[in-house]
Amino acid sequence: MELLIKNLPFILQGIQMTLSLALATLFFSTIIAFVLGTLATLRFAWLRIAVKVYVELFRDIPLIVNIFFVFFVAPLFGLELSPFAAVTVGLSLWGSANGTEIVRAGFNAVPKHQWQSAAALGLKGWEVYLFVAGPQALRSILPPFVGLLTLLVQATSLGALVGVTEFFKVGQIIVERTTMMEGWNPAFTVYGAVLLIYFVICSTLSWFGRWLERRLKADRSRVAPGTLIVEKPVTQLP
Amino acid sequence: MEFDLAYLANQWPALMRGLWLTIQVSALSIVMSVTVGLCGAAIRVLQVPVVDKIVVGYVEFIRNTPLLAQLFFIFYGLPGLGLKLSLFWSGVLSLTLWAGAYQIENIRGGLETVGKGLREAAFSLGLSPWRFFRLIAAPMAVRVGLPSMLNTSISLLKNSSYLQAIGLAELTFVAIDRISMDFRTVEMFAAICVIYLALVLTLSFFASRLEYRLNTPFRT
Repeated sequence: MELLIKNLPFILQGIQMTLSLALATLFFSTIIAFVLGTLATLRFAWLRIAVKVYVELFRDIPLIVNIFFVFFVAPLFGLELSPFAAVTVGLSLWGSANGTEIVRAGFNAVPKHQWQSAAALGLKGWEVYLFVAGPQALRSILPPFVGLLTLLVQATSLGALVGVTEFFKVGQIIVERTTMMEGWNPAFTVYGAVLLIYFVICSTLSWFGRWLERRLKADRSRVAPGTLIVEKPVTQLP
Repeated sequence: MEFDLAYLANQWPALMRGLWLTIQVSALSIVMSVTVGLCGAAIRVLQVPVVDKIVVGYVEFIRNTPLLAQLFFIFYGLPGLGLKLSLFWSGVLSLTLWAGAYQIENIRGGLETVGKGLREAAFSLGLSPWRFFRLIAAPMAVRVGLPSMLNTSISLLKNSSYLQAIGLAELTFVAIDRISMDFRTVEMFAAICVIYLALVLTLSFFASRLEYRLNTPFRT
């Protein structure tokens, strides 16, 4: 406890770093996910295949390997990435692969007659996406995206392995410092506290995701019956 | 900087040793996590008082904390309680606990598809609870739960790479270790990416085959 108070500014700094890492990653993942997810619903087979390869590649390679890869290989191509940037890139590749699947499933869940009616009303392709399919798809996209954010917050702990001083790394440093300076090993307390704080952050997010899901589902019943049958997109584990 | 195949050929035995450890850890953890999943799901479904609340808490806790932090807690933290585990067993334990939480949910999801009506019908036909479970509930639950159980197992295999952080000499560890000595970055990463991809794709191929087989009675 005393340890916690003494290191409070340091810990808060770590949490801030974790959150900014998570948000930066979420930002890039969302952009890539929406672009690729939309492309995957177009009627070009080669586009679909390309997106599929991207998704499978980054989901099937362990995230750690992915981050190390960006961290170690980018400099060889003359790109000097800071650890923060390397982790952001690595996590964004992984996050966007997961996000793409969510977006694709969201668009696929929009009933076919919606697309057909929109086309019959003379809307252009992009108008259908923006005004008809998009808003409906968003409803099934948002809750899993909150889930993705939870996973991203958890995944930022991998930043510690390449030297980003985020929350987990802060915990590691505190353990090392105390062991060296004071001669006792507080690993149990510190890592226990780290777990608890992650739990608080992530379960708040998960709770928010569930709330959003319920909320969006409840909204649906207000629409005239039979207009909207949005199925929950299939989301997978990290 | 050119791609040096001879170097890779040289390091191949080391990589294979790493791969073997990865497979050992993963296989052991998969078996144990399914066991955890079965017990946990049974407790949840049977609504054993108090214990089922603990299971809910366990699942929530694992799902909302990073695996890396769990791993460090087990490897560095538990000795503070006098529980000193070897590298290997710390890894197995943390992967088991992590995947176990997901398996509980997967199996429970499967079991919940077996409706109340089926149970009543089975009991009125004079089946014992055990025979009902073995002959009716389990086969149905497996069909629903199996795909996500296999997904979790594949994730476990990928996440075994987390164990390099505590220094278990599995595949990723070997690769990073060699890179820090020889700076053959591209070759090493290409090699382990290909190995992981091959492992995961093989597993998911068998997973989809199995799923297909199990669904045979339901196909028209």
